[in-house]
Amino acid sequence: MKIKKLLISSIVCIVLIITTLPLMTACGGGADKEGKTIKLGITTPSTGKAAEKGRPMEHGQKDAIAYVNAELGGVEGYKIEIVWRDNGYDAAQMSNIVRNFMDEGCVMFSTSSSAMMTAAMGLANQYGFPGLAAFSSPNLYRPPQHIYGQLPDYGDDFLAFMNYYLDEVWQGSGKPKVAIHALNNSTGKGAIDAARAFADEMGITILWDGAEGKAFEHKADTISEMESLTRIKALNPDVLYISSTPAPTALIIKNARELGMNVAIASGHAGFTSKLFELAGADSEGVYGVFPTVSWGDDVPGMDKLMEYCGANHPEDAGNGDYITGWAQSLIMIKIVETAIKNAGYDALAAGDANAWAVIENEGIKKLVNYLVEGLHGPVSYSVGDNRLSKSVRVFQVVNGKVEALTDWINAPVVKYEDFEWFGQ
Amino acid sequence: MAILRTRTHWGLLIAILVILFTTPLYLGNYWLGVFNFIGITLIAATGLNILTGYCGQLSIGHAGFIAVGAYTSAILTTRFEMPFLVGLLCAGLMAGIIGIIFGLPSIRVKGFYLAITTIAAQFIIMWVINQWGWTGGQLGMTVPFASIGGYVFRSGPSQFYLIIGITVLCVFFAKNLVRTKVGRAFIAIRDNDLAAEVMGVNLTYYKLLAFFIGCFFAGIAGSLFAHWNITLTPEQFSFTDSILYVGIIIIGGLGTSVGPIFGVLFIRLLKEILTINVVPFLEDKLTMFPSGFASGVTPMMFGLVIVLFLILEPRGLAHRWNLFKASYRLWPFSY
Repeated sequence: MKIKKLLISSIVCIVLIITTLPLMTACGGGADKEGKTIKLGITTPSTGKAAEKGRPMEHGQKDAIAYVNAELGGVEGYKIEIVWRDNGYDAAQMSNIVRNFMDEGCVMFSTSSSAMMTAAMGLANQYGFPGLAAFSSPNLYRPPQHIYGQLPDYGDDFLAFMNYYLDEVWQGSGKPKVAIHALNNSTGKGAIDAARAFADEMGITILWDGAEGKAFEHKADTISEMESLTRIKALNPDVLYISSTPAPTALIIKNARELGMNVAIASGHAGFTSKLFELAGADSEGVYGVFPTVSWGDDVPGMDKLMEYCGANHPEDAGNGDYITGWAQSLIMIKIVETAIKNAGYDALAAGDANAWAVIENEGIKKLVNYLVEGLHGPVSYSVGDNRLSKSVRVFQVVNGKVEALTDWINAPVVKYEDFEWFGQ
Repeated sequence: MAILRTRTHWGLLIAILVILFTTPLYLGNYWLGVFNFIGITLIAATGLNILTGYCGQLSIGHAGFIAVGAYTSAILTTRFEMPFLVGLLCAGLMAGIIGIIFGLPSIRVKGFYLAITTIAAQFIIMWVINQWGWTGGQLGMTVPFASIGGYVFRSGPSQFYLIIGITVLCVFFAKNLVRTKVGRAFIAIRDNDLAAEVMGVNLTYYKLLAFFIGCFFAGIAGSLFAHWNITLTPEQFSFTDSILYVGIIIIGGLGTSVGPIFGVLFIRLLKEILTINVVPFLEDKLTMFPSGFASGVTPMMFGLVIVLFLILEPRGLAHRWNLFKASYRLWPFSY
């Protein structure tokens, strides 16, 4: 009886502490803005349905900032302070996380996934709070506002792969038939939009799941796609293109192998990581993929430092492309801050308010010219009317258990999706 | 009997209202955002409490009904350029009507069987939203801020006053509803539907009315969410959220007017504190643990708290509140 009373009292105490903490933290906020630091907001899906991507992204981003603060003395002498939030791949949490970043005085923020940025972009655009999405889809910046893409989007992936396939692989007659298996959010929609816009121009037939524009869909936590793949198999496709995160992509590949589907399988860059190869095992052999960063261990200027920090802090992420993407994302944010400080001075950014956000956009992001990101991915530049900061991808294939680059960097042209009447419907 | 009977009641009410309406003076935008979300969740949870807590009709599709309200209001205010208040009212009505449709099986089935039909509601509603062009499908849609008579509720404090104002009205309505003939009919159906029918309670009418009122509240919450969040995507109304709403009213105390308030405050604040304070703190300090350890704390703590509540206080925080009130009345005597 006494133990029960003790437990209940403990719970009541916890409740009281929890309910009063916000007031205490709220009253104490604001003092940090006076410090000589620059705050960056970072949110990753480190738990939840996309944790296999979010965690290495989080580690890569944090390690890069630790490296800049510790070894480069920060940006122009000012230390970078991270405000990091785990979004749990929960879209309902995103608006409050963005509000938190704005309240904390962050000069800009980043997300890992297009789905989370889709949920955040309404508020960010409304307040002019600049955001950088590592993985993006056309809906984030068509038409361009205050959200920017670190890398080419999922539509660019599809176009790059299909162009490669038509030029180098396809030997049949007529148009190759392409089935798209898409995650049921912006990750999948990016590839669908590109397919819909360019299928006729490229000379391919898209196998829609009924009406035009409706691809075969799956959820992030799917446990079997045998049913949808059986329907796809009956349509006799030449290519199965998957635009999803690693876990569902691996499942679809395994299910397709079980069904004996003899097709070229390709993955967009959201799914084409070491986690995919780990989950799909031998079934990933022969799978094509598009990825916008260099491979692990490539001979580029930034790789040694990246591998050193990864080995020291997060050895489990070694070989993971998402760690590289996260690291590069932080380097780009730091470059944006550095450019803004050089052009407008620290004081213009110090408050982390609406003026600072405008300075970051106008004097930082829009002044980026050919930043090489230490060779980790394609060069970063801003061009008017195109909020994708890097435009280059490469096509890869898993050969004998190893990922081999099949192409050099392919530049993805800007596509004005908003000109298509179906875009966003 | 009046709701407020003693000076203490009046004092408490005035104190709570003063605290509520001066909150924007001492909270930043972020915490105002948290309390706005709490207010929206409280309206939805109050609706579910009427349906499940008072009338005994288990619903595990509440997030779907909230989505109906959110998208109804969003479509009316963006595509038809109707005023926010029209959108808000239509959101409630549309969600209520959809609620009646999915509540029809309650005439024949109850308990777990009814729960399954409401799960179907969640999936059917979200499928339609995902496929329908007007909703923006998987990419969702952008919604304007709420506005009344030319005044736009854009700032955190203005949104807070709008949401808390409507929340107070909804809670007051729910509190009074259960003291009326309708409320007593709901409770009779929950306690023993056969006995209620023998006493002359029209089961079909009152069960469907409970679905309408419960889902009307959900629709109002959805509309407020849409115009507060200003971006709608189908992923914001997941099945997990529907389960969470059931958890909220269980933790708060089923079939009590203060239960949803306690439940919502507890769950939402717990999640915020864990995400904003605890996880980043652990991530920084406990470097001896494997990476990713801290990220798993939120779901673990969440699950643990719910399990502890179910074991130690199955009647919810409202029961604890009643015990406290009883001891306060008798103080300094034990009983």
